Amino acid sequence: MQKVLGDFIHALRHDGLPISPSETLDALNAAALIGLQNPHVLKAALATTLAKNVAHQTQLSILFDEFFSRHSFAETNELQPDNNENIKTDNGIENSAESEPKTDATPEPNNGTTAQSPLAQQLLNNEKDALQIAINAAAEQAGASQMQIFTQQPVVSMRIMKALGDSQLNQELSELIKDDKNHVLVEELRKKQQLLRQQVKGYVEQQYLLYSKNNGLQLREEHLQKIKLSNIDFSQYQLMLNLVKQAAKKLASLHSRRRKISKRGTLDVRKTIAANAAFDGFLFHTKWKSSRIERPKVFVLCDVSGSVSRTARFLLLFLYSLQDVLPKVRSFVFASDLAEVTDSFRKLDLESAITEIMNTRANMSTDYGHALQDFNELALQDIDNKTTVIMLGDARNNYGDGNTDVWKQVYQRSKRVLWLNPEGHYSWDTGDSIMSEYSPYCSRVEHCSSLRDLTRILGSLLKNS
Amino acid sequence: MIIKHAEKIASAKVIKDSFEKLGYICSDDIAMAVYLACQLQKPILIEGPPGVGKTELAKKTAEYLGTQLIRMQCYEGLDESKALYEWKYGKQLLYTQLLKDQMGDVLRGAQGLDESVSRLHQFGDIFYSEEFLEARPLLQALREKDGAILLIDEIDKSDQEFEAFLLELLSDYQVSIPEIGTIKATSKPVVMLTSNNTRELGDALKRRCLHLYIPFPDPKLEQKIIAVQVPELGEELRGDLVRFVNELRGLALKKVPAVSETIDWARALLLLNVHSLDHDWIKSTLNILLKFQDDIEAVEPELHQLIQKMKR
Repeated sequence: MQKVLGDFIHALRHDGLPISPSETLDALNAAALIGLQNPHVLKAALATTLAKNVAHQTQLSILFDEFFSRHSFAETNELQPDNNENIKTDNGIENSAESEPKTDATPEPNNGTTAQSPLAQQLLNNEKDALQIAINAAAEQAGASQMQIFTQQPVVSMRIMKALGDSQLNQELSELIKDDKNHVLVEELRKKQQLLRQQVKGYVEQQYLLYSKNNGLQLREEHLQKIKLSNIDFSQYQLMLNLVKQAAKKLASLHSRRRKISKRGTLDVRKTIAANAAFDGFLFHTKWKSSRIERPKVFVLCDVSGSVSRTARFLLLFLYSLQDVLPKVRSFVFASDLAEVTDSFRKLDLESAITEIMNTRANMSTDYGHALQDFNELALQDIDNKTTVIMLGDARNNYGDGNTDVWKQVYQRSKRVLWLNPEGHYSWDTGDSIMSEYSPYCSRVEHCSSLRDLTRILGSLLKNS
Repeated sequence: MIIKHAEKIASAKVIKDSFEKLGYICSDDIAMAVYLACQLQKPILIEGPPGVGKTELAKKTAEYLGTQLIRMQCYEGLDESKALYEWKYGKQLLYTQLLKDQMGDVLRGAQGLDESVSRLHQFGDIFYSEEFLEARPLLQALREKDGAILLIDEIDKSDQEFEAFLLELLSDYQVSIPEIGTIKATSKPVVMLTSNNTRELGDALKRRCLHLYIPFPDPKLEQKIIAVQVPELGEELRGDLVRFVNELRGLALKKVPAVSETIDWARALLLLNVHSLDHDWIKSTLNILLKFQDDIEAVEPELHQLIQKMKR
């Protein structure tokens, strides 16, 4: 039982569930307590001990069905899930099980000649369990659980077949076929060999799904972190969405906690008396009540105009996630007119919020001057010395007036101003870019084109606040 | 925890059936989680939308097991002195004043400062002993001889620091008080934490707990709940009511009605002597189900459609 559950937990980890050793122990204890007779009960118990949020519970449920459909046949006879309908139809095990009566129906060849090789014996004797165990062992040898990419599957299948003694069988078949008398036997062996191949193929496929599917995903995720935001296409959007969410959550959990306990506020009479009891009630040491909770207050302005439209989606994505996790974020988007989108982010779900913004505001020509003027009226008075202002934009202003005075004011009033430019350093101030007009009034100007840049910069920003 | 009747937690099924008798209709998952929590002696973290009966589960468990329920409501700024223990400062102060005169007797005849101090030391830390310790919920739960149900309500409302502080309690059932030492539970309490997911809880806390997610019940279960809570309500009306609420949950609302609102609504309809749900009744009682004016305004134009779906 331990081995089976251990394997299952291993598969869960591969699927992205963070399961610690202590949780593994809990799961084992729970399984020991309730027994393995009823798969539904076992699934519920495992879900309670191993999956710690709703998404993980769904994952666990799916994987449980996939995993134990395999185990039910050979390894654990005590475990018989009655949820076999979840087995995929292209699954080799089921195929062999289905075709069982068919092969039984063919009359036994009793013309004196029998096959000699061990595999042929096993096939003819229908030693299903023994074969499944042999497959499991051979698969371990062939590295079925260490496949990296799906194209390795045929190679692994071949290795398994070889380990099972497929080549001897082939040799024997070619000898048997010389004699016409053995026609029936050869036919049957061929058929069973084919079935076995399918079974092995199905098994390897399952192994790949259980243990290795997500390796490819991990590779892709790593790659996506580094890639330029403007080069990411829509197909990777969903993946990126998860990454962005993770990044934003990580940032927030690292930095959103209370910063310091200030000494101002009202006198805490209780604590003061307690602290001074030793001095006969003379109040030498005063204790104060308030603890000020300090969390970064952030204003983010995001350029969604045509020139940055490719990155804008992802910047908005990040902005949305950030607002989800930090309590005091106000978000603004602009092309030529600037508008606050804090509320629509809060009300709408991510997809519709971003779509709405992209539809109504994006892809228009940029006018930083006008946008800053709007910002001046809208939010400048709310900026104080605890505010961090972040601008996400390329400073390409279509040769218009940049209205740098407003930006200067923003800089003076706020604690810090950060400009994140999706273009590389060498493109700044080329063409209609007026980065150098704004850069004097920024605490930092950074080149930011990938998710990794974004998390790095914002991480250091929050750390220092 | 010493459970007086071991047969009460013999299996998840027993728990489920007994809860039903107590008027708490629960799903298999809930019963399983309670069963495992009692058997494995692990805290259990209950999540789910507001109003699905998370707190009620703890109350019913306490009632069922015949133990005391100790409840601690979490909020931002909650700290040790309110959750764990505090010294009875007033009492300490009073006693020092009263005992002032005794000091003369104790110290009489002592020669030099050293001897006086060493005589004082013989009395130990009188003022920092159990008598002066004011136990708050967490400490109370640990000291309860027959065990208790400790309900830590809305843990997501507290600060992260407090969450970290709870870790020692949750994994080892002990707390450290600097002046006295470590206090271990005489009988491990069953700990239930509830969360509304206003913020994501730390992994360390989740790792130490079993996890239970209570979703909105499916219509069948909800009908059963209403039948138990408001038995006087007619069966047909009950079906309509549950179907209507279910339709409402499918809409994009600020706050969708929970089970507790369904129960309230059922009670209200009973009081108003309504026999069948029609447009006017629903419209005039909608404010029981929906707690935001925005939501009510959003639903009102859709009412006809919703009612049609309900009647189907």
